Amino acid sequence: MLPNFLSRTGLAAAATTLLAVPAVAQDPLTIGFIYPSPVADVGWAAELNNGRLAVEEHFGDQVRTLFVENVPEGPDAARIMNQMAAQGADMIMLGSFGYMNDGLTLAQRNPDMTFIHASGYEVAPNFGNFQSRNYESSYLVGMAAGDVTETDTIGIVAAYAIPEVIGMINAFTLGIQEINPDATVRVVWLNSWFDPPKAQESARALMAQEADVIYSLYQDTPSVVTVAEEEGVWVINTSSDMKEYAPNWLLASQVADWESYFVESVQATLDGTFEGSAFWGGMADGTVDVRSWADAISDETMAKIEEASAALRAGEFHPLTGPIVDQAGTERLADGEVIEDGALLGIDWLVSGVATNLPQ
Amino acid sequence: MDVLIFIVGGTLAAATALIFAAMGELVAEKSGVLNLGIEGMMATGAAMAFVVLSLSGSYTLGFVAGAALGMVLSLVHAALTIIFRANQVASGLAVGILGLGLSSAIGKRYEGRTVAGLPENGIPFLSDIPVIGPMFFQQDIMVYLSILLIPATWYVLNRTKLGLTIRAIGESPEAAHALGLKVRLIRTGCVAFGGAMAGIGGAYMSTAYTPLWAEGMIAGRGWIVVALTVFGTWMVGRVAFGAYLFGSISLLELSIQAFGLNIPSQLMSALPYLVTIVMLAIISRNPTFIKLNSPASLGATLKLS
Repeated sequence: MLPNFLSRTGLAAAATTLLAVPAVAQDPLTIGFIYPSPVADVGWAAELNNGRLAVEEHFGDQVRTLFVENVPEGPDAARIMNQMAAQGADMIMLGSFGYMNDGLTLAQRNPDMTFIHASGYEVAPNFGNFQSRNYESSYLVGMAAGDVTETDTIGIVAAYAIPEVIGMINAFTLGIQEINPDATVRVVWLNSWFDPPKAQESARALMAQEADVIYSLYQDTPSVVTVAEEEGVWVINTSSDMKEYAPNWLLASQVADWESYFVESVQATLDGTFEGSAFWGGMADGTVDVRSWADAISDETMAKIEEASAALRAGEFHPLTGPIVDQAGTERLADGEVIEDGALLGIDWLVSGVATNLPQ
Repeated sequence: MDVLIFIVGGTLAAATALIFAAMGELVAEKSGVLNLGIEGMMATGAAMAFVVLSLSGSYTLGFVAGAALGMVLSLVHAALTIIFRANQVASGLAVGILGLGLSSAIGKRYEGRTVAGLPENGIPFLSDIPVIGPMFFQQDIMVYLSILLIPATWYVLNRTKLGLTIRAIGESPEAAHALGLKVRLIRTGCVAFGGAMAGIGGAYMSTAYTPLWAEGMIAGRGWIVVALTVFGTWMVGRVAFGAYLFGSISLLELSIQAFGLNIPSQLMSALPYLVTIVMLAIISRNPTFIKLNSPASLGATLKLS
């Protein structure tokens, strides 16, 4: 852990200099944003930052935003959010799971402030959390993958086996099987949140074993996408549209859009009506969507995808609907049974058809 | 067969950055200066090379710029430890952290961008041989340069007067000084060489191996280099062997995962580190031998009149 610790403290020290904002009168609502990684053109922090820009655009002079990027979870994050509070922030957006406990403590000490937190589970009167039902779009891109694969082998590059990722892998695999029941899915777990060279090596390892569609699951950089373009293998990306990085071989991009949720939360804070809740945005409210479908997907499959999207938008269909059997052959959901949100939050099994086991 | 090509061919590329940085670190340590800032120097080299390549379109300029900046950083370390007699561990760590911050600042506007990777021209005719061709002869130029660097480093250190001087200074700078050898100058040169090689290693990561810039993309490889030098008991061949071993096991691990073998992936992720340490510990288990090869003054503050 030594190298990580060193690199992070060094960078966080550099990041805090961005906080040098002049203390001004309380007039505009001051909103602080904390991102776990640097804001790039694409990726998780970029999506969150788009939400911030949307808030600025929507409210104009009513708000003042400040942000700190590349903040490691732990003491650094706690320090930065406390500093924001001390500088008169009225609202803070916490962009990473591990900011949760420090943020909650700060929220309890400052009942006048409001907080929105990405991907956690804690809720307080002035502390809400938000996450996306990305598994809905995973199902759709899975259908496309099932259509274009010729080797019937689809590879996934994933960071860690957390419930959100497991849910997405399951929905993706079920989507594939809807179109192509014979396909197998192989997963390489990086066991690292951030290692672009390793992500690229993993994609090559999957290609060497005949995978002709690669699902780049929450890789924040275009590492996997560029190697797929180079090798001429289909690739699907999560969280930002990466069409420009793989103009020929991008099959589709799953995107998450936080703009409307951020604007609503800021409005509620301005109105004094903010109430902490768990926001789980999906295709129905436009938080989750798929962009840049490739032309290579057959018309027949595309029609099915359209149909499934419409059903998802209307809230009539859940990708994890029984009968679903897990890898060991145990029935997890009976015919017609829909997985509950609570079960999805703690999901720890993969559907049959995924060749790789979960790291236990 | 594809898997074998992937592992064998991939290993050469995967180890290239490690080989450059490790040969540089080896030379610096042989002269008695421990440089723990390799990670930061690689990161800075990577950022600089990426930016220069993006602006100029020239790989040569990119590598030169990466090497130059790595060297500049290492000269800070050299100044602190050799002239101002700072503690080598503390100075190395500080310069390393400085390098990481600097890489972030240099690459800020390029975060998440990509470039076309260094072309894998390979060696004509030989690259057409089935199996062997794609494994060994379809690599980019830096892979071959890194392979040449191994015997070159060995030759200079063990068969030239310069190498003898470096080793003598590493053993006893006081004695070397008494003999009239330019201890400070030679040490500074060795550290600068180490910094330049770390910069080239970093540049290889961001312009050839994973042609993109993302802050933190070196992801601990600089520390692997430091470990390889120590576990390889400061012997060129063993350090190089360690780098290739580490590279191949990392790729083997991913292949095994991709194959779907039911082995816990956390264990698999630890495998490259485990195997490399165990292997090098086994071949380097002779204590007398370690004593003979480790530079006696390594890490010690210079005490010259």
